[in-house]
Amino acid sequence: MKRFILKRLGYAVLSLLLLSLTIFLFVRLTGDPAVLLVEPGASKADLAAIHAQLGLDRSIWVQYGQFMSSLVRGDLGHSFYYRTPVLELYLSRLPYSLLLAVAAMAFSLLVGIPSGILAAVHVNRWWDSAGKIFALLGLSLPSFWVGLVMILFFSVYLGWLPSSGSGTALHIVMPAFALGWYFAAAHMRLTRSSMLEVLGSEYVKLARLKGLPEARVIGKHAFKNALIPVLTLAGINLVIMVNVAIVVETVFAWPGVGRLLAEGIAFRDFPVVQATVLIGGAMIVVVNFFVDILYAVIDPRIRYER
Amino acid sequence: MTRSRACVVALVAAVLIAAAAPAAAQSPAAPVGQITWAVHVTLAPTWFDPAETSGIVTPFMVLYALHDALIKPMPGNAMTSSLAQSWTMSKDGLTYEFVLRKGVKFHNGDVMTAEDVKFSFERYRGASSTDLKAKVARVDVIDPYRVRFTLKRPWPDFMTFYATPATGAAWIVPKKYVEKVGEDGFKKAPVGAGPYRFVSFRPGVELVLEAFDGYWRKTPSVKTLVFRVIPDESTRLAALKRGEVDIAYSITGPLAEELKRTPGLKLTPTYFTFTVWVMFTEQWDPKSPWHDRRVRLAANLAIDRQGINQAAYLGYSKPSYSFVPQGMEYFWPPPPYPYDPKRARQLLAEAGYPNGLDAGDLSAEAIYGAAIGEPVVNYLQAAGIRLKLRLLERVGFYQELGEKKLRPVVQNGSGAAGNAPTRIEVNAVTGGRYAYGAYPDIDGLFSEQANEMNPRVRRQLLDKIQQMIHERVMFAPVIEPAFLNGVGPRPAVNGLGLVANHPYSAPYEDLTLKPRP
Repeated sequence: MKRFILKRLGYAVLSLLLLSLTIFLFVRLTGDPAVLLVEPGASKADLAAIHAQLGLDRSIWVQYGQFMSSLVRGDLGHSFYYRTPVLELYLSRLPYSLLLAVAAMAFSLLVGIPSGILAAVHVNRWWDSAGKIFALLGLSLPSFWVGLVMILFFSVYLGWLPSSGSGTALHIVMPAFALGWYFAAAHMRLTRSSMLEVLGSEYVKLARLKGLPEARVIGKHAFKNALIPVLTLAGINLVIMVNVAIVVETVFAWPGVGRLLAEGIAFRDFPVVQATVLIGGAMIVVVNFFVDILYAVIDPRIRYER
Repeated sequence: MTRSRACVVALVAAVLIAAAAPAAAQSPAAPVGQITWAVHVTLAPTWFDPAETSGIVTPFMVLYALHDALIKPMPGNAMTSSLAQSWTMSKDGLTYEFVLRKGVKFHNGDVMTAEDVKFSFERYRGASSTDLKAKVARVDVIDPYRVRFTLKRPWPDFMTFYATPATGAAWIVPKKYVEKVGEDGFKKAPVGAGPYRFVSFRPGVELVLEAFDGYWRKTPSVKTLVFRVIPDESTRLAALKRGEVDIAYSITGPLAEELKRTPGLKLTPTYFTFTVWVMFTEQWDPKSPWHDRRVRLAANLAIDRQGINQAAYLGYSKPSYSFVPQGMEYFWPPPPYPYDPKRARQLLAEAGYPNGLDAGDLSAEAIYGAAIGEPVVNYLQAAGIRLKLRLLERVGFYQELGEKKLRPVVQNGSGAAGNAPTRIEVNAVTGGRYAYGAYPDIDGLFSEQANEMNPRVRRQLLDKIQQMIHERVMFAPVIEPAFLNGVGPRPAVNGLGLVANHPYSAPYEDLTLKPRP
């Protein structure tokens, strides 16, 4: 087991190293950030001064070396646009993203799982059709459109909710719905298919043959097992919600990590993009690392196979 | 008699005192209330520091509140003495002396002196700092309220660069405070000499400022200013409709129409030195159809500028016939090109293209390319100049433009501050960052004007240059886009359009709210 964990840890570190190099190189293919920091037509001397200020006048490998040595010391660099430490910026946005992600995830699970169960239990009947329509709408309606319609209806027309920003419980209602809407549909679909698979399995048939009440068969025997893939997906989705809820955060002016990433991309703020992608990547690597270990604990065959 | 006269005098005095009392109680009114803006861009801490001014107008949105300058544009005067009481230029044009206003205090209580002025200039590292500092030989503090700039040689544009938004070098920061807190500390807790002091900043969320009662010009009327970042324009409009904000910047297209229709809201256009024009980058190549002046003229006559204005800006923009904005110093007003597609087709036929011509790409930056480039291409197409619109992302566009890779037709735009020569230098003379070619006679006149200290003679030279650019049809100027904003019912004076060539609210100390009903 120890060898297995060390091996997985090695893969995790290697993944992060590769990610750091990839994002470092790719972000530099997107153009010169100095062009966006000055008015078009700025002199070459002004552009050169900005390159020197931002450290972009050095060779790319020197820049990468400095980036990695700073990274090891926990320094993710200074934002080109904000001129403040990137880690400070990221941490100032993270609580907002976590709050939004948790609220959206709660909504998506509370809606997605029960509707998925109902659709599976009443397969090819009214509930199932309604669930399919819900999933279709959830996956196909763009979240910016859902967000704007909500703002128009609940904020401008009814006047119930603030149109944008953060600060009170009311502020989170619409962004959480707009963000959770898509994921609710995804969770609904997965719950439905997973439940259908489990409901068709031998042990569920046996439970029914034993005369167990249907509610107990579904609630205890089927649901528990069907939930595993849904929760695995939900874990990854939570990381996605935290880091790349760009559209929803922009529409609702929600000051989260997703908007920070969008601003970083728009302004070619290399340190911000590098840090946001790396931290997001690290979250996924860490989640996967622990999931791998959990799988190995649950099913010893996995550690021997690998 | 004496007694009755005394009674009358006493009565009149009592009436006068009674009448004056409410006025006296009202005059030194303390600042009250709050104005909230929905800002279309992400506020950056670099905007709190004049030393970082990047040549774009946006940071001045914040600078006008937090800081003050020796000379700055104010209502009715593009170079108003502010922290400087007066300024003089020596006859030889080599020295500029500024007499400072006495008793001006920064928000931390420090008194502004000439040392702060010298420090702020030397610390300045923003747009054109290299050029500006290369031309200034030294800055001398004559006494605490007198500072002298000595140039290496006469430079007619010194004040254009020093005292307008072309740079932020004349905006004064407190030397002692900056040295004490350091560069990062200053951006976190900026202190200035402006009408509003810094309260808080949450990156990506909002900036909060509070009235500074020690501001030399006057105590502001509104107590709190809040700049909320709302990147999506539909959301900005929704926030304005709900009364969450009082002023929403940048509302365009159909949303601007909706804003105009909404009772209680007002659509307010503002303008700055922003022009969009089309460049013929192959006009110096004899093999290119664009070498023929008639083809370039045909393109100019084929564009319905007023039609574009109406469609994209509800008619609030200004059709443009020069790439130099109308509000710039030394602008020469050219005769307008009429919209005459028939004449355009005739010109093409005379140039040897009776069936029109396939003219290649019109490259443009994505945002203004979609709003303006698309109708331009359609109008040209209708006249027989068949161009394909090629939209490029902003960074890629300006990189390729700077490297002179875009051909044969390019839509360019600039909102850079400065004056006509600074605009011409970048786009129409040899060595200009976006000049694909030039004409020796224009180059010669340009060099001449650059050393001409007599404003009258200089104007004649610059008029001549602009006439030659127009006669040779070097460009197809299109429009000076308006910056459309929404204003809610609460502000009595919103500051929009008060300062010429400034698209945002200013001066903040002049803003007022309507009295509550």
